[in-house]
Amino acid sequence: MKTRRHFLQSTAAIVALPVLDSLGFRRFASAAAPATPPKRLVFLSFGYGVTEPTWYPDIKKPGADYEIPKGLAPLTRHKKDMTVVQGLWNKYNNEGHWGSTMWLTGANRYAQPGQSFSNSISADQVAAAKLGLETRFASLQLDDSERAEASGHGPGLSMAWDISGKPVSGLSGPLAAYHRLFARDDTPIEKQRAMLVEKRSVLDTVLENAKTVQRGLSRADNAKVEEYFQSIRDIETRLTKEEQWIGVPPPKAPFGEPTAFNKGTDEIKLTYDIMLAAMQTDSTRVMTYRQPVASLLTSLGIKVFPHDMSHYHTTLGEKLDASQRRDIAQSELLAGFLDKLKATKEADGSTLFDHIALAYGSNIRTGHELSNCPTILTGRGAGLKLGHSIVAPKDTPLCNAWLTMLHGIGVHAERHGDSTGVLKEIVA
Amino acid sequence: MKQTLNTIASLLLAATTALAADAPHPAMEPRHRSLFKDHCIGCHGPEKQKGKFRVDDLSFSITNIETAERWQKVLNQMNSGEMPPEDEKQVPNELKTDFLDNLSNTMVAARRALADRNGAIIVRRLNRREYGNSLRELLGVEINITELPADTGNGSFDTVGANLFMSGDQFEQYLGLGRAALDEAFEWQAAMGLEQKVRVEAEEAGKHVRQAYEDDLDGLERAKKWVALVDAAIDRPENAAVVAEMRKTAKTAKTEDAVRREWAKIKGAPAPEEFGFKTLENSADLALRKLGFGAKAGIGYGRPYREAYLNMPALDRGAYLTIGGGGEMLSYDCLTLQVPHPWKSIVGDYVLRVRLAATDKATPDRKFVEFGIDPRQGPVISTHQVTGTMDAPQTIEIPITLTRQHKESNRTLYIREKGALDHFLVTRRVVGAAKAKNGIGPEFAIWVDWIELERLPDSRKDKASGIAALGIPLDDRATPAPAEVRAALERFCFEAFRGVKPETGYLDRLSRLYDTRLQSGDKHSSALKRTLAVVLSSPQFLYLAEPAPDDKRRPLTGPELASRLSYFLWGAPPDATLRDLSARGELQKPEVLAEQTTRLLADARSKGFTRPFVHQWLALDRLDFFEFNREVFPSFDNSTKLAARQEVFETFEHILRHGTSVQDLLKCDYAVINPVLADYYGIAGVKGDVFQKVSLTQDSQRGGLLGMAAVLAMGGNGERTNPVERGAWVLRKLLNDPPPPAPANVPQIARLAGQALTTRERLQAHQEEAQCASCHRKIDPIGFGLENFDAAGQWRTQDTYQVKDDMGKPVKDASKTWTIEPNATLHKGPAFKSYSELRAIIAARGDAFAGGFSMALIEFALGRPIGFRDEALASEMIAHAKRNDYSMREFITALVASGEFHTK
Repeated sequence: MKTRRHFLQSTAAIVALPVLDSLGFRRFASAAAPATPPKRLVFLSFGYGVTEPTWYPDIKKPGADYEIPKGLAPLTRHKKDMTVVQGLWNKYNNEGHWGSTMWLTGANRYAQPGQSFSNSISADQVAAAKLGLETRFASLQLDDSERAEASGHGPGLSMAWDISGKPVSGLSGPLAAYHRLFARDDTPIEKQRAMLVEKRSVLDTVLENAKTVQRGLSRADNAKVEEYFQSIRDIETRLTKEEQWIGVPPPKAPFGEPTAFNKGTDEIKLTYDIMLAAMQTDSTRVMTYRQPVASLLTSLGIKVFPHDMSHYHTTLGEKLDASQRRDIAQSELLAGFLDKLKATKEADGSTLFDHIALAYGSNIRTGHELSNCPTILTGRGAGLKLGHSIVAPKDTPLCNAWLTMLHGIGVHAERHGDSTGVLKEIVA
Repeated sequence: MKQTLNTIASLLLAATTALAADAPHPAMEPRHRSLFKDHCIGCHGPEKQKGKFRVDDLSFSITNIETAERWQKVLNQMNSGEMPPEDEKQVPNELKTDFLDNLSNTMVAARRALADRNGAIIVRRLNRREYGNSLRELLGVEINITELPADTGNGSFDTVGANLFMSGDQFEQYLGLGRAALDEAFEWQAAMGLEQKVRVEAEEAGKHVRQAYEDDLDGLERAKKWVALVDAAIDRPENAAVVAEMRKTAKTAKTEDAVRREWAKIKGAPAPEEFGFKTLENSADLALRKLGFGAKAGIGYGRPYREAYLNMPALDRGAYLTIGGGGEMLSYDCLTLQVPHPWKSIVGDYVLRVRLAATDKATPDRKFVEFGIDPRQGPVISTHQVTGTMDAPQTIEIPITLTRQHKESNRTLYIREKGALDHFLVTRRVVGAAKAKNGIGPEFAIWVDWIELERLPDSRKDKASGIAALGIPLDDRATPAPAEVRAALERFCFEAFRGVKPETGYLDRLSRLYDTRLQSGDKHSSALKRTLAVVLSSPQFLYLAEPAPDDKRRPLTGPELASRLSYFLWGAPPDATLRDLSARGELQKPEVLAEQTTRLLADARSKGFTRPFVHQWLALDRLDFFEFNREVFPSFDNSTKLAARQEVFETFEHILRHGTSVQDLLKCDYAVINPVLADYYGIAGVKGDVFQKVSLTQDSQRGGLLGMAAVLAMGGNGERTNPVERGAWVLRKLLNDPPPPAPANVPQIARLAGQALTTRERLQAHQEEAQCASCHRKIDPIGFGLENFDAAGQWRTQDTYQVKDDMGKPVKDASKTWTIEPNATLHKGPAFKSYSELRAIIAARGDAFAGGFSMALIEFALGRPIGFRDEALASEMIAHAKRNDYSMREFITALVASGEFHTK
């Protein structure tokens, strides 16, 4: 389904103006098609880093003529359309096992006195606050179906952290994501409205109860219980959104409900397909995906335990082999995803790839190394300089790259995390 | 007892005084100033500030976050080897090692001090398991709560309030789970008194073995006849040319079969269909496959095994469990019982009975069966020893509870021989080994007469508190009056909120929700469930709130204390007795509190404390991080792994229950094991399917955590041991001297890769670099002392390292086998020659262990990270326990009696 519905909100009425009709789906109001398709932002991360000697391009030979390293070989066909950036890091992160917790936030876990852990808003949520206004879902957080503790991603419920630095929940596995996006509700509209009213009165009821709890709490406790209020407000926002979308059936999925899939490569591929479908249907414009590594290894027939693999340095041999095969498999999957982004057309004849900004990487380089984080930027949506191997000055904040991407897609934040400015090197 | 109470009273006083003291600020040792002077200040001092960084004014006492960040930078720069720069004077290795050791540990202490909130406890949401347990107490049912976030993984216990988040999605999950639990509970009520029973006679299940065998024999005969006629046609001269062409182009080694497949092109050859072989494709394939039953390969491979089976006695009354029998034998090598679909309701408590016997061929390691649900992929739920004989079979009874979840999912219960279907590689090995020996296959070890499942109609006569409180009909035969419903809601809330009455406004809204549901067409029971689910998603249920309006710390009220106590020792809400005592102001009395502590610990619900506490304290989750290589460790099967994990819990619970010393966890002359583990450890004479105290011989390696298979297995990767992992675990968990977390950006040592070295030789490299040595000089020696245990916790005296190439293939002539040398010298500590000497050294440091144990208990019980003040409390707990021979229970009694435990 390639129908995007654009909302013009007036005081009394909400008018749905579907605009995208690239793959033969029913067109509702073609006259209302906007001049340009919307911008989208996607972050893909993994735990356990990469294989240092075979993943990074030669740091001494930056530029457009760099040689594609072995670990990125499957991406060769996209070489002109992606950029590998070196020299970026999150200076505050000292956690050698956290691949994703602070990847998009650049936070210092010790920044708050009296707390042993705190985080700040992630770049995707900064974008969602603006790009999310017009879609059914402000953002989507996809997650692997593995146990978080062993995933190498570090604490968090997804890659996303909200404006208060609290974890945003994620959808565990591709099936949950599919259902969230495409589950159909055949309930009559009047009944849906009645259900919304009921949902609101449920919220009112628990809020009433929350006030009882809150009464007399210490300041610190109050701040904690405030999370409950915030979660209720989040649902209210969601209900308001649902209300706006009543009568607009969820888009038809471009493919049927996946019944079963193998964990690992199949799961990642399927998740990419679902992300693609989310873009095709313009269900959301901001997505993050924490990818699995353990099950990826299993699906490749590798028996090495991921943490062992990431410490290949002392023994090399099968650990190194596992690490390199992992790199290649991940690159192949990414290359396939880019193929599809390039092949999927928007209404104006451009492709999804023309309007997306996509970052792929991890907070961990290899082992417990947290500098020169592996970073690939791609997509033509943010005016990034593509086709290059770029070496930023050593220890440039990753957040500079995120800020540049945010600006590129029209979200003009002043700063993000520990950013010190935009990363000029990656601007086309 | 009196002595104990006096001690507790003085404890209360002591701990309360400690509340007033200020936390000290961790500081670097002054002796390290000389390193700064000699190596840093030249570039980062008053004259020059390279990188805009100076250290001459850096305070050695870390009092604020800014100072901590600057020290972190020093640590990071030195760890990564960037400072001092290569072309500058280098810091002598030993000095650097000591400096980094001191700095990394000071940073850990400083971070903790800066996060200290003077003991204030942040309001706690019920964590996932407490939420599940609370539903169970209220509604009498257990539901699957794994869709909720696990609340672990932050490096602290799942009780620490600051880490227990809340989100919109989670709120909706609570609503959904609440409904599911209520559905379950209402169905349970409806099924009260229901009697159901089903029995499967094993000979019925075994019948198809004979049938399949006879079918195969018959197929073989028919196939032979067909082939004879086809072959005769092939030999006819008029077919010579076409057959020659077929033979030439045949792409398989089985040229003749390829020709027979083309029977249609051969004049005079009959169709396989005429001989009963009918498929949608080329039916010759089926005929040719059947022919294989006469061969020594293909499907004929299993024929001797099947014939041996059919020659076994007592097949008219039962069946034998098989190994590697494939589809022609018992499916999945199991005897199964399917919960009948026509059963009206399947929720309930049941007993599964199995009448079975071990044959005279059963060796001790094969006298076990395992039970589970879903033979294809369901995990082992329990393992049972088979003591019955063919002359006197036994009946084992396994209690199980079936829920609504089992309705939709696989409802096939299975019994199979232990480890028979864990992994195909293991099965293949077992079958291969048996065949090599007897030419047939594995001996038949277990005979089963029947399996039966019976529902216990009155298992839960006492209604759960929430259900009992409702007191109105839960079915739709009559709709109660609105006032009755409102009163029922009020009583339910009172239970759900642990003895706090709901406010009127809230009740009004609940009643309206119920009415709205009725008006929109719901029946009474359905409307009631939806309304109650809202109660179960309300903050008064989900949060353990303790008001403190003026931000001051204050003593807990009785009901607050009751909740703190029961969520600590049960992970569940206070029961009527506790609530009653607290409402009457009795619970705060030391003797009453001590008595209640003992009562709670004696209750079965105390597993809600012991299991999650031990699991998190000892970081047992690592046991699930990797698969064990079953080719290397065939006997570490799923049942054994399950038992190994349980051993840790059962030992802890044994010590707690019997009031014995916590030091037994370091070394003792007994093990708490079941027959499965006894077999694994090579200890004879353990009988009965329960974990039990078994005396060990003087020279036993078992006894205490260090000798437990689970603990040792965690210190590896399922294939090889990892002395670093083991050493760090011992420092963290047993010696209360945790190494700082793995530092970021330390250069990895790669120069030894690809060399055939012993584990020790490889790890020796850690001592060369100060960044590594600062921690590894403490960690590695301990790991060396445990090298006599392999990666599955079995004793060994030799180890081998095989170098593997980039493809993971073994490199020829690059392998080394050595005799394990477990001797080493602890950092600043004594030398030891063997595992038992190391264990003795560790066991002698019981106070350190008790300290770590106390700190863990404090964090778990109070739900906040431990801080400076807790050291005083821990000392008091240890002192008190010491007077009682370090009884584990006394640590808990002392903690419960402390001022901290009674303070908001």
